[in-house]
Amino acid sequence: MSVILSVTRNELRHLVRSRVALTGLILVALLTFAAALTSNAYQADQAGLRERLQHAADQDFAAQPNRHPHRVVHFGHFAIRPASGLAAMDPGVEAYTGNMIFLEGHRQNSANFGDARQSSLLVRFGQLSPALVLQVIVPLLLVFIGAGMIAGERERGTLRQSLLAGISGGALLSGKALALGLAALAISTPAFGLLLWLGASGGARLSAVGLTTLGYVAYLAFWTLLIIAVSATANRSRSALIGLVGAWAFMVVLVPRVAPEAAAALAPLPTRVETDIAVQRDLRSMGDSHNPNDPYFAAFKQKTLKQYGVTRVEDLPVNYRGLLAIEGEKLTSSLFDRYADQAFGAMEAQGRVMDALAVVSPTVAIRRVSMTLAETDLFAYRRFLEQAEAYRYDLVQRLNRLQATAVTAADDAAKSKNAAAEARSRISADHWQAMPHFDPKRPSAADVVGRAVPALVALLLWLAAGAVFAARAGHRLNRSAA
Amino acid sequence: MNALLREARFLLGLKSAVAAMVALFALTAVAVSAGLVEVARQEAAIARIGPQQASDVAAVTDWVSQGKDPGNAAYYTFHATSDPPSDLAFAAIGTRDVSPYVLRVRALGLEAQLYEGEIGNPEAALPGRFDFAFVLVYLAPLFVILLFHDLRSGEREAGRLRALEASVGAPSALWGARLTVRALGLFLALALPFFVGAFVAGTALWKVGAVLAVVLAYLAFWIVLCMVVARAARSSLANAMTLAAAWMTLTLIVPAIGHVAINSAIPLRQGMELGQTQRTAVHRAWDIPKSESMDAFFRTHPQWRNTAPLGEAFHWKWYFAFHQVGDELAGDLSRQYRQGVLERAAWSERLGLVTPGVATQLALHRLAATDPAAQIAYQDRIRAFHGELRRFYYPYLFEDRPFGRADFARAPEYRAAPAAGSWPVALLGGVVLMTALVGGIGFVRGRRVAS
Amino acid sequence: MKTVDGDKAIEIADLVVRYGDRAVIDHLALTVRAGEVYGLLGGNGAGKSTTLQAILGFVRPSAGRVRVVGRDPASEPAEVRRAIAYIPENVALYEHLTARENIDYFLRLAGLRPVADEINKAFGTVGLAEEAWERRVSGFSKGMRQKTAIALAVLRRASVLLLDEPTSGLDPGATADFNALVSRLRGEGAAILIVTHDLIGVADIADRIGFLERGRISDEMVAEGPERFDLRALHNRFSRARAA
Repeated sequence: MSVILSVTRNELRHLVRSRVALTGLILVALLTFAAALTSNAYQADQAGLRERLQHAADQDFAAQPNRHPHRVVHFGHFAIRPASGLAAMDPGVEAYTGNMIFLEGHRQNSANFGDARQSSLLVRFGQLSPALVLQVIVPLLLVFIGAGMIAGERERGTLRQSLLAGISGGALLSGKALALGLAALAISTPAFGLLLWLGASGGARLSAVGLTTLGYVAYLAFWTLLIIAVSATANRSRSALIGLVGAWAFMVVLVPRVAPEAAAALAPLPTRVETDIAVQRDLRSMGDSHNPNDPYFAAFKQKTLKQYGVTRVEDLPVNYRGLLAIEGEKLTSSLFDRYADQAFGAMEAQGRVMDALAVVSPTVAIRRVSMTLAETDLFAYRRFLEQAEAYRYDLVQRLNRLQATAVTAADDAAKSKNAAAEARSRISADHWQAMPHFDPKRPSAADVVGRAVPALVALLLWLAAGAVFAARAGHRLNRSAA
Repeated sequence: MNALLREARFLLGLKSAVAAMVALFALTAVAVSAGLVEVARQEAAIARIGPQQASDVAAVTDWVSQGKDPGNAAYYTFHATSDPPSDLAFAAIGTRDVSPYVLRVRALGLEAQLYEGEIGNPEAALPGRFDFAFVLVYLAPLFVILLFHDLRSGEREAGRLRALEASVGAPSALWGARLTVRALGLFLALALPFFVGAFVAGTALWKVGAVLAVVLAYLAFWIVLCMVVARAARSSLANAMTLAAAWMTLTLIVPAIGHVAINSAIPLRQGMELGQTQRTAVHRAWDIPKSESMDAFFRTHPQWRNTAPLGEAFHWKWYFAFHQVGDELAGDLSRQYRQGVLERAAWSERLGLVTPGVATQLALHRLAATDPAAQIAYQDRIRAFHGELRRFYYPYLFEDRPFGRADFARAPEYRAAPAAGSWPVALLGGVVLMTALVGGIGFVRGRRVAS
Repeated sequence: MKTVDGDKAIEIADLVVRYGDRAVIDHLALTVRAGEVYGLLGGNGAGKSTTLQAILGFVRPSAGRVRVVGRDPASEPAEVRRAIAYIPENVALYEHLTARENIDYFLRLAGLRPVADEINKAFGTVGLAEEAWERRVSGFSKGMRQKTAIALAVLRRASVLLLDEPTSGLDPGATADFNALVSRLRGEGAAILIVTHDLIGVADIADRIGFLERGRISDEMVAEGPERFDLRALHNRFSRARAA
C-alpha cells in the first residue's frame, strides 16, 4: 500500500511541477465553480420567479368578481412548473420544455415559453452546468493529463527503471490511477460541494444527492481507469492521446447526438396540429351537444331524465346546461388523455432507444442517472403535465357542477339576451376563493431512485469493465519488456 | 503542380491520414443524410396536414353554414400556417426541432395562440442535432488537429527534418504543398457529401457557394492556429494538447459561458407575464360595461365606429373586439419579448465575431434560415396573416352579414414563403479576422523567437 | 554487499529464446559469480539485450534455464529484480525530481525506507559531488546519472549489477571514476555483468570476457597477470566475431 501511495505522491508532485497540467486543472476547477455558482443562482431565480407567477395566478383567479361559472371556465388558470431540487446540478430538459400552461375548459394547451426557443443558438452547444462540466469537460481534461502517465514513462525509460526497482505493474498502475482520480476529485469538488449544499439546504432529497454523487464518482472513476489502462497499453503517449480523444469524442459527443436521430426514425411523433385536428374529428364523431338530434346527447338526456324521474328538461331540479358541460368535458378530456398518452408513449419509446445506447457510451448512462435523480427528465415533465391536466379537469368540473347547481336553468337560458337574467346568473366570488390551488406532488423518493437504478447499474458495469481492463493492463506491464 | 501531386501520393500512403479523411467523409455523409431525413419528415408532416385541415374546415363549414352566423365561423374555424424548411435546412436544423413549423390560428386573440409549443421529445432535443453544422463546427477541427499538429514536429521527431528540408530546393514550397494537400483532403471530405445533399435538396447555387466559403474560412482558421502553435517548436504531443485545449475552449467553454452571460444580461420574463396579462385583459371585458371595451376598440379601428350599436344581448362583434383589445394591451410585452429574443441572437453574433466556432454555427443557420431570427420572422408572418383574418371576418361581424358556405372559400389563405436566408457577411468577416489575428500573432511571436 | 550462497549469482544454461522461427539466443551458457566482473562482448544483433531481458524476467525462455541468485526470473520476477540493480546505457530518472528525491522515490518503490544519512553515504561512495545532491536531475551529465543509479544500487544492497554499455559516451576521467567504483563494488562481493561493445574499456576491469555471437558464447577469456588481457588477441577475436 505504501508503495502505491509513493507512486501517487510522485505523480501528484509531477502534476504540480509541470505548469501546463496544473494550469489546466486550476482552470477547469474554476469552470466547475463558475458553473455551480451560475447554475445555482439561475435556478434560485427561476424558482422565485415561478413561485411569484404561480402566486399571482392564484390571486388573479381568486380575485375574480361574481361571475357565471362558465366564464370562469374560460378565464382559466395557470399552472407553473415548480423548480426541482437538483436542477442547479443538472437542468436536464428544463430549457427545452415550457414551464407554464394555460388551463381552460375544453382545451389542452401546451406548456409555453421554453428557454431553448427564446435563447440564441448558443444553447445548442450545451448549457453550462455542473453536469455538463462533469460529464463532458472533466473527462477530456483527464485524458490530457493522464494519457502520458505511463506511456510517457515508457518513452523516457523510467517505467522500466520503476519495474526493476521491484514494484509490480498492478501497484504502479494503482498508484497512477489514484493520482489521476484525486485530480479528478479535486477539479469536481465545486460540483460535489453544490450537491451537498443542495442536500443540506433541504431543496433535494438525500437519496438523490447520495446516488448522484455515487453516479458521478463511478463515471469519473471509469474514465480514470480507462485512461490509465490505455496509457499502460500504448507504446507511445501520442497514440494513447489520440486513442483516448477518439474514445471521448465517440462516447461523449457523438453517441448522445446520434441517439435522437435513431430514436426519431424508430418512433416518430405527430405534430400538435395533427393531434388537435384528430381530437376535433373524434369529438365530432362522438357527439355534438349543439345538435338536438345528436344520438349520443339524446341518449344522455334520456338517461338524465330517468335518473331524476322527470320527463322534461324543464322539470329537472338542476340546470341541464351544467350537466351537459360536465358530460362534454368528460368526453374531451378522455380524448386529450388518450392522445397525450400516445405522444408520451412514443417519447418514452424514443427514450428507451436512446438509453439502450448506454451499451456503447457510459455518458448516456450518467446522463440518465443525473437527470432522473435531479427530476429534470422527461418523466418529471410528463408528471407535471399530467398533474396540471388533472388539476384542470378537476377545476373545470367543479365549475361545471356549480353551473348545474347554483345557476338556474331559466337564467342560464336567458342570460345572453336579458341583462337582469345575466346578473342573476353570476354567482358569488366566494366560490373562486374556495377552489383548491395547483399543488403538484413530487414523485416518491423510492420511485425516483427506482427509475435511476438501471442506468446506475449500467454505469457500475462500465466501471467494472474499466477495472478489468486496468487490471489486465497492470498484469501485462509486469511481462512487458517496457 | 508536381509538388502537389507528389505530396498527394505521399498523403495517400499514410494510413492514419487516409483513415482520418475517410472517417470525416463518413461522418459528414451520415450527418447530411440525417438532415435530409429530418427535412423530409417535416415536409411530409406539412403535406399530411393539408387534407386533414381541409376536412376539419369542411366539418366546421357544414355546421356553421346552417345558421350562417359569422361569429361561429370566426370562432370555430382554424386557419393553418406553416414554415416549410428552406433548401439548406438539411445542413443546419437549428431551432426547427424545438419550435413549431406548423401552427393553426383563429381570429381570436393572437397572443394566446402565437407561442404554442410543439409536441417534441425534450430529451431528444437536449444533446443537439447531428447535422452538417455539427460535424463542421465540432468535429472538423479535431480532424484538422489530427492531420496538422505534427506536420513539421513529426518529421523532426523522426529525425528526418534536416534531411528532408535539405533535399528540396525551398522548404517553404514543400510545407506549402503538404499543407495544401491535407487541407484539400479535409475540404473534400466535408464538401462532397454536402454537394450531394445540396443536389438532393435543390439548394440555391449562391447558398452552396456561401456554405463553401464558410467551410473554407473555418478550416483556414484551425489550420492557421495549428501552424501558429507548431511554430512554438515543441513536441508533437505538446502541440496536440495545446490545440485540443483550444478546441475545448472555443467550441465548448466559450459558447457555454456566453450563453449564460447573454441569458442573464437579457432576461426574458415577458413570456410568462405576457400570457397572464393578455388573459386578464380579455376576461376583464365580461365585468366592465361593454361600451368601455368597444370604445377602446374603436380608437384603433375607427372604421367600425358607426356600425349598429350593441344591444343588451350577446353579440360576437363585442367578443372579437375585446380579444383585439386584449392583444393590444399585451402589445408592449409582446414587442419586448420579440425584441429580447432578437437581442439575444444579436449578442451571440457579437460573440461570434471573436469565436470562429460560434460564427460558423450562426452563419450556417443564418443561410439555412433556421436561427431564432427566422423563427421570429415566421411569427411575424403569422401575425400578418392573423391581421388578414381579422380584416376578413370583421365586415361580416360588424355589418351583420350572413356567413355562408361560399364565404368559407373566400377566407384568406396562408401562403408559406420559404425563408430566403441571407449572406452572413459580418460572421464570415469575423472568422477571417480572427484567422488573420491568430496568424499575425504567430508571425510576430515567431520573429521574436527567431531574433 | 551481501554475498550470495552457492557463489553463482547468475547462472544460464542451454538458454534458447525464439522470436517466431528465429532463435535469437541459441543454447547460451554463462555464469557470473559473486565478487566477479564479467564482460559480455558482442556486436549489434548478437543477442546482448535479449540476454539482459531474460535475466530481468522480461522474456520467457523457449528452452533452457536461467537462475539469478538461485531463482527463476520468468516465474519470480519480483524476487529476482529485488536482488538486481540494472543500469541502462542512458539512466532514466524523473526529470522533475532532484537526485535525492529520485533515490528516495525508487527506494520506496522497492519497499524500502530511505534514511538521509545512508543516502549521503551512498552519494559519497559513488563520488557524486555534494552540490548536485539537491539539484533536479534534468541538468545532469550522463556520468552523474550513472552515479545516481549506482548509488541507488548500493542503497538497495543489490547483489547483482547489470551494466548496459556503461562507459560509452563517458570522458576518460569519468571512465576512470567508474572503473574504480566497479572495482570497489566487486571487492564488496557483488556479481557484476557488463554488456558492451567497448572492447578496451571492459578489458580494464573485467575478470572474464565472453564473446556473444549469434546467441551463444563462442569464446571466453580470463584475465591473467598484470597485463590482464592480450589486447591484440582480444581485438582480433572481436573482429572475427563481428565479421561472422
